[in-house]
Amino acid sequence: MSDTLVEQAAPAARSAAAPFVACVLAWLFPGLGHVYLGKKVRAAVFFAVVLIMFTLGVASDGAASLIEERQPLTVLATFDNVATGPIDLASRYLTYGRIVYVLPGEEGDPRRTELMEKLRTRVRSVTYEYGSTFLLTAGLMNILLILDAFDIATGRKD
Amino acid sequence: MIRSHFLNLLVFSALVAVFFAFLTQNDGKDRLRVVLILGGSMVVLSLIIAYVMYPFPLR
Repeated sequence: MSDTLVEQAAPAARSAAAPFVACVLAWLFPGLGHVYLGKKVRAAVFFAVVLIMFTLGVASDGAASLIEERQPLTVLATFDNVATGPIDLASRYLTYGRIVYVLPGEEGDPRRTELMEKLRTRVRSVTYEYGSTFLLTAGLMNILLILDAFDIATGRKD
Repeated sequence: MIRSHFLNLLVFSALVAVFFAFLTQNDGKDRLRVVLILGGSMVVLSLIIAYVMYPFPLR
């Protein structure tokens, strides 16, 4: 009797933790949440699509967004970039030469001037708009993958 | 990198279409149908919008 209860309890304990683990893995690397849930073909396609999108974004001189107090929409754009997972660190480093998320508010701040100059270098590139769109889309895709992994883990979707 | 606006449109549409095909469908044929409809719609609608916008000045 007690053995049966233990057998029944084990999958329940796993399934309780599964959505959280799947979501974290999905954020850590595109498709990893689906690998964890046994959806390997989908995972491979998602991994390839998001990574190609991200790579095209970086290669096309796209810039990771920075939060600027006077422009509230930059919070959403930065959140979207961060949703791509740790690979977002690469685009930030390539854009600004270091990992930075917030643009200092004061006009005379040398850190702001330095970041703005690096951003202007990107903006001057002909492919900047394409690149930034690719980067933002990669982030949006990964948000959908996180939600999809959650739905699969909770049994709402196959 | 890719400088052609049209080539960027094709690549972007293809990637988005494949992504949503695998996100929303489980069957191979259904996925192909979504890729063709969604990818094709994105390209054709973009060209129509571009054509409609063409007479308007940039500034």
